[in-house]
Amino acid sequence: MENDFEDIKKDWNSGKKDFVANSKETEEKMTLIKKKRKENSMFYYGTVIILLITLVVISLFFYYVAPVKNILSRIGVLLMIGSLLIRIAIELASVRKLKKINKEDSALKSIETLISFHSFRKLIHSPISIIIISAYTLGFYLITPEFSLYISFWMLVLIDLSYVVVAIVLFMNISKGIKKEMKTLSDMIKLREDLVE
Amino acid sequence: MPTSKASFEEIYKNHHTMISQMCLGFVKGNTELANDLSQEVFIIIWNKLSTYEAKSSVKTWIYRITVNTCLQHIRKESKTKIYSISDKNESTTEPTEEENSDNNLGLYKAIGELREMDRLLIMMVLDDQNNDTIANVLGIKHSSIRVKIHRIKNRLKKILTNGK
Repeated sequence: MENDFEDIKKDWNSGKKDFVANSKETEEKMTLIKKKRKENSMFYYGTVIILLITLVVISLFFYYVAPVKNILSRIGVLLMIGSLLIRIAIELASVRKLKKINKEDSALKSIETLISFHSFRKLIHSPISIIIISAYTLGFYLITPEFSLYISFWMLVLIDLSYVVVAIVLFMNISKGIKKEMKTLSDMIKLREDLVE
Repeated sequence: MPTSKASFEEIYKNHHTMISQMCLGFVKGNTELANDLSQEVFIIIWNKLSTYEAKSSVKTWIYRITVNTCLQHIRKESKTKIYSISDKNESTTEPTEEENSDNNLGLYKAIGELREMDRLLIMMVLDDQNNDTIANVLGIKHSSIRVKIHRIKNRLKKILTNGK
């Protein structure tokens, strides 16, 4: 058995010659690493930036373009903006948790931190995201009666129906997100089992 | 202590073979994926270099980063079959013949047939790392390492024999 493994080891060591790089190749790789290092720093905040832009656009719309007057509409606006604010706060908390995963830890500790992170993400997708989208949707429809005073009936129907399409896409995304988190969670749990067995 | 850039260049020079080969073995000899993974490892090393506390040797520290980066890549690519734990025998990615010599490609593919954790462990054994270092990198008891290594060696031999 040991002799067999010594042969495998020889093959392994002979494979090292494939990685001998000349100084030009090394320099090129170093340049690429430098470039990618800069790109990575923005990776975490993509969703937060999109949500913030949405928040700013909606806030400006209700402040300058369509400042609603009815109490029901105002509750609607508060629900929409509040939902977005909560979602941004959760996303920032998620980034914070993700950054806590330290790749200098042992594999076991790192996997356990990952399991905790993905359990948190699963909780965000369901039920938190569903509650947030429901509140946002309720807010949207609470504004509808006041809007109907200023726009034509068919335009209102068009807006309401298009929102239904958006809501369906959002729920499909949540469902996809839940499945993905479940798959990752089960992979990580399996890895932990393999490690401690 | 030299500057961070100089230290990084030194680490790159001394350890890029070990990191690249480990990444290649983890992704069944697929050069493109292995390059992406090893680049990610080097980015983390560079970012963490200024806070490295020397609690363990540089090599152990680099192994930890490499192992964690490989394992965490599974979650990023959870939809890709090559990394799926449940479908581990159904690799859809074939490296080109000229990328690695035949023997080594066969070995990387055989290592790729092992479970993810076993791949990383056996590659550290192939790199002549002792049980203390492996236990330190993986965070498991020293006593269980020997049993694991014995089991993985048997499995790897079986894969290589059946594959030839």
